[in-house]
Amino acid sequence: MGREVAIVGVGQTHHSRRRTDVSQAGLVREAVDRALADAKLTIDDIDSVVVATGPVLFAAVNQPEKWVADAIGASLKPLVRITSGGGTGLAGALGGYHQISGGFADRVLVVAYDKLSEGQLQYSISTLYDPFWGRNFAVGIMGFSAAYWRARMDELGHTEEAAAMVSVKNRKNAISNPYAHMKKEVTVEDVLNSRPLAWPIKLLDVPPISDGAAAVVLSSEDKAAESTTNPAFIRAMGYYCEADNAPARSLLQSEPLALAARRLYRAAGITNPRRQFDVVEVQEPYSCFELNYYESMGLCAPGEAAELVASGATQVDGDIPVNPSGGCMGANPIGAVGLIRLIEGATQVMGRSESIQIKGAKTALVQSGGGWANLRGLAVLSA
Amino acid sequence: MSLSRIGIVSTSQTQLRPAWDSAQHIDLISAVVTDVFKGTGLTLADVDFVIDSGSDVLDGRSISNCGFLGAMGAHHKEESRVEEDGLWSAQYGAVKIGGGSARVGLIIAYSKCSEADVRQFYTTQVDPFYQRPVGFGHEEASGLQAQRYLAAGGASLEDLADLTVQRWKDAAAQGRVQIDEIPDRDAVLNSGNLARPLTGMMAARACDGAVAVLIANEEITNRTASRPVWLTGMGSSSESHSFATRSPDALDGCVAAAEQAYRHAGWKGADADVAEVSASTAVTELMALEALGLAGKGKGLKAATGGKTRVNASGGALPADPIMATGLVRLSEAARQLTHPSEFGLKAPQKAVVTGAGGVGMQTHCVMTLEV
Repeated sequence: MGREVAIVGVGQTHHSRRRTDVSQAGLVREAVDRALADAKLTIDDIDSVVVATGPVLFAAVNQPEKWVADAIGASLKPLVRITSGGGTGLAGALGGYHQISGGFADRVLVVAYDKLSEGQLQYSISTLYDPFWGRNFAVGIMGFSAAYWRARMDELGHTEEAAAMVSVKNRKNAISNPYAHMKKEVTVEDVLNSRPLAWPIKLLDVPPISDGAAAVVLSSEDKAAESTTNPAFIRAMGYYCEADNAPARSLLQSEPLALAARRLYRAAGITNPRRQFDVVEVQEPYSCFELNYYESMGLCAPGEAAELVASGATQVDGDIPVNPSGGCMGANPIGAVGLIRLIEGATQVMGRSESIQIKGAKTALVQSGGGWANLRGLAVLSA
Repeated sequence: MSLSRIGIVSTSQTQLRPAWDSAQHIDLISAVVTDVFKGTGLTLADVDFVIDSGSDVLDGRSISNCGFLGAMGAHHKEESRVEEDGLWSAQYGAVKIGGGSARVGLIIAYSKCSEADVRQFYTTQVDPFYQRPVGFGHEEASGLQAQRYLAAGGASLEDLADLTVQRWKDAAAQGRVQIDEIPDRDAVLNSGNLARPLTGMMAARACDGAVAVLIANEEITNRTASRPVWLTGMGSSSESHSFATRSPDALDGCVAAAEQAYRHAGWKGADADVAEVSASTAVTELMALEALGLAGKGKGLKAATGGKTRVNASGGALPADPIMATGLVRLSEAARQLTHPSEFGLKAPQKAVVTGAGGVGMQTHCVMTLEV
């Protein structure tokens, strides 16, 4: 089998709605400098660089890894960009993981970012739709997501309140996250009374739009000790999909996420996820998605996510805290979010979270995904 | 660092055409995904993952892999999009199998340049603050490379025309590129100004097409491939984005990528029996051969047509450049030359080197070595 892979350095920018003081290249450099310093390395120690960004239409530069190559020290090194919709940060980390596991590199720098203030986000997402039969009625991703939620309401009896509780929890947690820029506590009533955008999605069910970057240094086990005595090991990682036009596709649980969970849990020896994971970080593009993930990842039985969030179990003082960092509700530079979730999960098991540290956390589950809610990835981390 | 033995089980290509106007993207992709399993005993059910190369910009569609997952056979499998030439996807797939987490992978690359604005595809890659305002782009970079290479005396304009004619002839002979008429030297020289001194036909012709490559670990390759081809070395490298800081008449990134690949393989470029090389122009093809160690600096012309290593027996990228798929087509063509040498007038080739490239003035390079 392949070699063990560890996270030995992490860095992220202080995310914000709009960074007018830096270009894309300057933005990624901030995260790279922090990750390298954290790993006690210089760019000369890096064998290979993986860049991940959201769709190029988001920020209107094609193949932007080629532009930022110099700023992140990739000259005359392997450089590749992996892109997979909103979950691209995790998909990029997965590419770096395999480079080390497969013996191609000892240390890989993974860089993920989006500068969403420079593009037309929902317009860009609308081009996801088929040019012949989908684009005439394309309205970004929100209309599709509203249908997704509505199906859960109709079939499972879930309510708008259940999703509102997710938003309330994550927004509260984000206040303690030094990298978040949306820091305002809200109540369930605030969420329910906020402006409908595509019912049942309302304004406060939706995360902000952000500029931000994240970087991670991945290392082979042999070389990890040069950076830290306390790395986070990647025990299993994968990124699965379902064809968007599959006729039997369910809108209730996520089939590719459930598939990823089954495969990865088996590889990592996870038989009771709610008991065995100390902390979970998920990418919630809308509040309702977090509920879907609880069920798809096996934190509760199918259909029971509303009860799980209402029980308080996923709060920072619950038995299975989800998004102690605040998740996307605190900051949402889409292409970077998957890698940010990986960073938050890793620093939890390293015992040095800059958000709310979950006491004694040893094992973390990280989720990310994108596309038409049909691309779904997971990582299992442990100290 | 060492790499496990990864095998090519089979490959499939559509014909490469200037415009596949009777087929959509999914038709081209489905054709190769269906065909690549023939004769292997493997089916889609045996595939652990799909890695694919295509461009949102060429496709006019965000997260365009999302729309093609069914055609790619990726439903309920691991899938990732590498938004770079397909040879990088092959490298991703190889390390994934090498690490032991998967056994069989399907690598796909496709292009439909006829539905896109290829000049814009490159222009939008350029730094938006310093380079875009002055109109700098891929054609301009290619012209500057050619000026410097010709000024150094490596070749004449007529040599470039003759090389172009040879490549179109070879491609026509193999039948996997649509060619209505093979040009002669005058036709190439009179094909209009692209970027001085290059004429239009001295640049790679953008094409539509798809290619699929089935790769597997050593055990499955031995059990399923009629004649296994092994991926023994790989490397990739990016040059600086700033064209002004690059070597004007050499491809340093290709040198760095080749060094990595040869180190894994344990041999040198001169040992290769076959080379399949991606290039944007007739000049950068010569520069790539020099970077691979098949010729000294400025001596690429001799290696291109009359050296010990057979170069671009498929015709290479000049007659057909399905952008994002060109490098993976090179791999497919080189594998065919190793397994069916008589089709190409080759004796018993054992080793091949293949390249892919990306970016304005070929900023990024990917090199793989193949062996039978």
